[in-house]
Amino acid sequence: MKKNQYGLRSETPFFMSVPALLWQFLFLYVPLISIVALSFLRFSQGLVSFSLHHYQSLFKEMYWLIIARSMVLAFSTATICLLAAYPIVYWLIFRVREYKNIFLFFLIVPFWTSLLVQAYSWFFVLEKNGLVNTLLTKLGIVAEPLHLLDTPFAIHLVMVYCYLPFMILPLYNAMEKLDLRLIEASMDLGANQFQTFLRISLPLSLQGIKTGFFLVFVPSFGEFVIPALLGGGKRFYIGSLIEHFFLVSRDICAGAAFTCLCGAILLGLMVMVRWLFDKILR
Amino acid sequence: MKQHSSATRYVLPTMAVLLYAFLYIPIFVLITFSFNNGANTSQWTGFSLRWYYELFYSLDILNALKNSLIVAACSTGLSLVMGVMFVFYSSRSILKRLLLAFYVNLAVPEIVLAVGLLSFLTFMSVPLGMTSLIAGHTLIGLGYVIPLVHSRFEELDNRYTEASLDLGATPTQTLLRVIVPLLYPALISGGLLAFIVSLDDFVISFFVAGGSTQTLPMYIFSLIRSGATPVVNAISTLLLLTSSIAVLLYSLISVRTQGESR
Repeated sequence: MKKNQYGLRSETPFFMSVPALLWQFLFLYVPLISIVALSFLRFSQGLVSFSLHHYQSLFKEMYWLIIARSMVLAFSTATICLLAAYPIVYWLIFRVREYKNIFLFFLIVPFWTSLLVQAYSWFFVLEKNGLVNTLLTKLGIVAEPLHLLDTPFAIHLVMVYCYLPFMILPLYNAMEKLDLRLIEASMDLGANQFQTFLRISLPLSLQGIKTGFFLVFVPSFGEFVIPALLGGGKRFYIGSLIEHFFLVSRDICAGAAFTCLCGAILLGLMVMVRWLFDKILR
Repeated sequence: MKQHSSATRYVLPTMAVLLYAFLYIPIFVLITFSFNNGANTSQWTGFSLRWYYELFYSLDILNALKNSLIVAACSTGLSLVMGVMFVFYSSRSILKRLLLAFYVNLAVPEIVLAVGLLSFLTFMSVPLGMTSLIAGHTLIGLGYVIPLVHSRFEELDNRYTEASLDLGATPTQTLLRVIVPLLYPALISGGLLAFIVSLDDFVISFFVAGGSTQTLPMYIFSLIRSGATPVVNAISTLLLLTSSIAVLLYSLISVRTQGESR
């Protein structure tokens, strides 16, 4: 029996590729659609009706404050991660001659450990008798131990700590591909280091910056664990509010509406940031 | 080689040292205090392994660990099998375009996936527990496995498949005897990723586990919330050790694969 180019195609049992698709459909797409659907439904006295009630009830200052707070958290986390990661990756790629892989390895090990463990490790550094306070009091900089845990500062700091690898990896991938000869040419043609950086390295690594920014921004926007652990549960962020709707007050439809609203805002923000990046790129 | 200006010559390495310190100081403090004798989490009172002993005698922890391992093993296995089947059997058909459908798993914030799964399963009155945990973790696993396996599969020479088919093997035999062995590096690194991510996952588990089942991260979360105890340090140290070994294996495999393909 001879098989032509399409032989495989006619013999291949399509249904074998179905399990993955079915799984995906059943546990990802149907739930996402059902969240949208639930947000428009209202259950009252055994009757189900279409309504915008849940969205209307979201027009409260409290909710917008929480969304704004999460936006600030996500933007600042992504920006600080970028500012911290860029010089390191630059150093790793252009200055480190030997053992590059080992240096990179130690930069990304934390990425593989549980977020909980990473957040927990900061308790010992930030607590009242922790490392920072012990050092500061011994050096005589502060008289009283600072109150560091359960503050927005702690949340921001640990967010940067946990999401840094998400910025480092895409930056590394982008800069690794950078042609060193371009930089040498630029220097040879009389540009100084700063000009070379601004005109050559930075534009050529912009794709990595973009990817890294989104990889940090998207999960930090909905982050729930870190504020819950280091914020003492007092300050609400989007993630905490979603958790509250679904697990504490069990108001699933209102929670679904809030989730959809935040999803729409996130999408809008991403389009905006992308547009900004494209504008810079040009 | 050109001369670097003195600013960048000293500034960059200093920043690098500071960043590594930032990354590792908390971890070192955490590990140190797991060997602390006293129950106080900030005062060093001497070396001891008592928290590790306590760890191995705590039924709650062992039970949570068992659940975590079962969920991680099942979801890794499922995502590998389904992932390979999808990549192989959809390779020449229109289904290939559906590959994009799998990028959503990692692009959507985890909490949205979790909440969606929770309300869907409750709505269908599916009991929450191990099944829902495995369903959720497999989604994340597929998100890691499919792109990895797919990119490796694309690099393979099509003629392997063609030769195997010409020599009379059925597609299934071709998959098992030719493709899977060639895909081994991608399968191992994808599986490792899926396993570690599942083992570490907290958000999805927290939402879909229901009241009676607990995974290790969930247990750790409840312990931390009720106040830091050195037991958490001991578990964290072991988890850190596990994931460092996993990342070492992962890097070794990917370095070797990169070497092969060049």
